Order: sequence, then structure tokens, then C-alpha cells
Amino acid sequence: MFKALWWTAFVLAGIWAQSFLPGVDLLAAGLVVCLQEEDWLAALWLGLALIFVQEGVGSLAFGYSILWYGGLGLLYFLGRRAFEPESVLFMCLLGAGLGLLHVLCAMASGLLQGIELPLRRLALEAVLQAAVFPVEWLALGRVFPDRLRRHEHFL
Amino acid sequence: MKLKRIAVILLAGLFLYLTLYTWNLRTGHLDTFSAHTGLDFSGWVLRPGDWIADKAVGFWERYVYLVGLKQENDLLREDNRRLRLENMTLAERSRATVRLERLLRFAPPEGWAMEGARVVAHRMGPAGVLDTVLVDKGSGQGVSEDTPVVCAEGVVGSVMRAGLASSTVLLISDMNSRVAVVGLKNRAAGILAGQGWGRDLSVKYMKLNAALEPGEILVTSGLGGVFPKGLPVARVSGINRSDISLFLDVRAEPLMDADGLEEVLILRRLPAEKGPGD
Repeated sequence: MFKALWWTAFVLAGIWAQSFLPGVDLLAAGLVVCLQEEDWLAALWLGLALIFVQEGVGSLAFGYSILWYGGLGLLYFLGRRAFEPESVLFMCLLGAGLGLLHVLCAMASGLLQGIELPLRRLALEAVLQAAVFPVEWLALGRVFPDRLRRHEHFL
Repeated sequence: MKLKRIAVILLAGLFLYLTLYTWNLRTGHLDTFSAHTGLDFSGWVLRPGDWIADKAVGFWERYVYLVGLKQENDLLREDNRRLRLENMTLAERSRATVRLERLLRFAPPEGWAMEGARVVAHRMGPAGVLDTVLVDKGSGQGVSEDTPVVCAEGVVGSVMRAGLASSTVLLISDMNSRVAVVGLKNRAAGILAGQGWGRDLSVKYMKLNAALEPGEILVTSGLGGVFPKGLPVARVSGINRSDISLFLDVRAEPLMDADGLEEVLILRRLPAEKGPGD
């Protein structure tokens, strides 16, 4: 129950924060924390909720967020083979990967839908996403409740 | 062998994704579902956000700025602050009244009804790549896709996705927005296309010999079937006659200020009145 409430509060705060930073995902770090904690059920529910939230507030046909969060999961699982999963360096690289993924996903969606996209703004959002993601992960690590932690080494 | 398995999984995933994607493009079920879940949920989250922000700022000012001051000084400052706040609130209310009065003066075209809506947020989230705003009216209030949205200055855009109680409005500044327009004075017709946030609009397919003047107001022609005829949209800011094109190169600045949008009007087509023979 506490877990559900905590993640709901996280999503509410994230949605609100996202309205101040257009084009940037401020909820992705929550999914990464679930994966780091190896809480697969929470990751599944949170992932599903985030897909519908991002698709709902987004302006593309349904599909961007599946690529986005699917890509994030893939990058995380591939990356943790080579890096310490809880290291800041890995999170910085993951942030950079997310920035690149944003441009790729948006361009793929734009191509499939046949719409024009502002490329310069996408590039700027990619840089912002790369910069914000590690900070967001660190901040989440600081406020993440002890009773939800399964691994003591997480921050 | 392992590589082969990964390739098969990736190909199967891609196939599944494209199947889901094309099924949704054809039926729109997933778009509708995400509008009725994610969009409405976010709308409900964002609406009380302003109230929370006010409270948070109040808390900050009360408990952080005033720490360490003497009681009397504290009371006087509090009094002063309350009066200033009251003054600010009244000034804001006065500005809002002016804005709302201007909106109220807007007369809907014949056969159309209008309803006010508040702008809850501008584009947000990584999938929010188009120039949009989120408003607090949805299909529950009769809003549907392609519903025209205007403000006191002119056309804002049209609804691109409607949830139950919130909708996403595509602004005329977006690169994918197209509005059929005519010049108010000379009636030269063209298609107004967005060029991106903060940039002038472009008028396409306007004949090279069309009569058009800088500063002329462009109004909706009603040809697209989305907007009623005669709504002001933009003001011509530049005209170039190119030697290598069959059309004029026309720039226009939007009449509405997308940054300052707080309230908008949603236009709904009234059902046609039945004649005596119907």
C-alpha cells in the first residue's frame, strides 16, 4: 500500500514538474530506480502508467512512449553489463542515451505519421534530457524511502 | 546461436510494435484510451497545481524570509504584505476581468456556439513535440477533434485530441498546422502554414498576381471545413514576389500571443435547425 502511494505521489509530482520543462521526461528516473531495485512488478506497473501519461499529454499518435521506455529498459540492461548499475557515470551515459533516443523516437514517429518536426528544438531537448536525467536520479535516490529499498547499495 | 535469438526477438518486437501502431492509426482506440487516462489524469493533476504553487510560495515567504525578525516588525511586515498581496490580487483580478470582458465581447459566428476554457499547461512530456496547449474542457463538455479554438485576438488553433475533461489544442504556429485564409481587404486566398514556435507564419499557394498589402489582416476563408468563415488569424508582415515561383512568398504574424494564453474560447457547431418540410 505504502509503495503504491509513494509511486503515485512520484507520478503526480513528475507530471506537475514536466509542465515547467517542455519536451523533457522527468519520470524516467523512477523506472530506472525500480529496475535497479529489481522490483519487476513495480517497474511493470509504473512503466504502463508512464506510457499512458506520456501518450496522453503528448501530441503524437500512440507509440512514441513504447519506443521511449522500451529503449530506456534496453539501454539499462545493456549498460549494466559494462558499468556499475548504481554509478553516477552510468546514469550520465544513460541520460545521454536518452537524449539521443528522444530524437530518434520523435523522428521515427514523425516519419510514420508523416508530420514535420522542429529538429533544432528536438536537439535542445535532447541536451536538456541528458543533463536533467542524472540530477533527477540523484534527487530520487535521496528521497527514496528506506522501507522500499531492497538493495542497500543504492545511493 | 544467441545472436540469432536476439535478432529474432528484436524482429518479433518490431513486428508487434508496427502491428499495434498501424492498428491504432486505423482505429484510434489506443489514442482515445490514452486521452481518457493519461490526458485527463494529467489535467486533473495540473489544475490544483497553481493553488499548491501559491501555497508553497506563501510558505516560503512566511517561514524563510521572515525568520529572525522581531515580533512587531514581523506583524507590520505581515500587514504590509497582506495589503500588497490584496492589491496584487485585485490588480490580477482586474486584469483578468479585462481579458474576460474582451472574450465576452467576442461574438460567435452564426451557427456556432462558444464556451470558455482555461489553459492548464503548454506542451509537456517527451512525446509533446508539437506546439500545443492543454485546456480544461473535453468530450464531456462537447469538445471533439478539429473543434476550432479562438481567443479575443483571433484564431488559436484546433483540438487535436479530446479527453473527457481535458483537450490538447494544436496551435496555428505548429509546423503541421494549415488554415485556409483570405485577405480581409482584397480577398486574396491562400493557406496559412505554421513555421514553429515564436516564428512568423507563412502563406502558401497565394497567386503571384494576387492583391495583398503589408499589414492586411488574414481571416479564415471557411474552406477547410474546420474554422467558420471570417475569423481573424494573422497580419501580413512581408511580401516577396519571386521570379522563380508561381506563388507569392508571404510572411504573417499571428494575432494571438501563444505565450500569454490563459483563457480561450471553444467554438462548437450548432445543430442545423430543421425546416418546416423536414
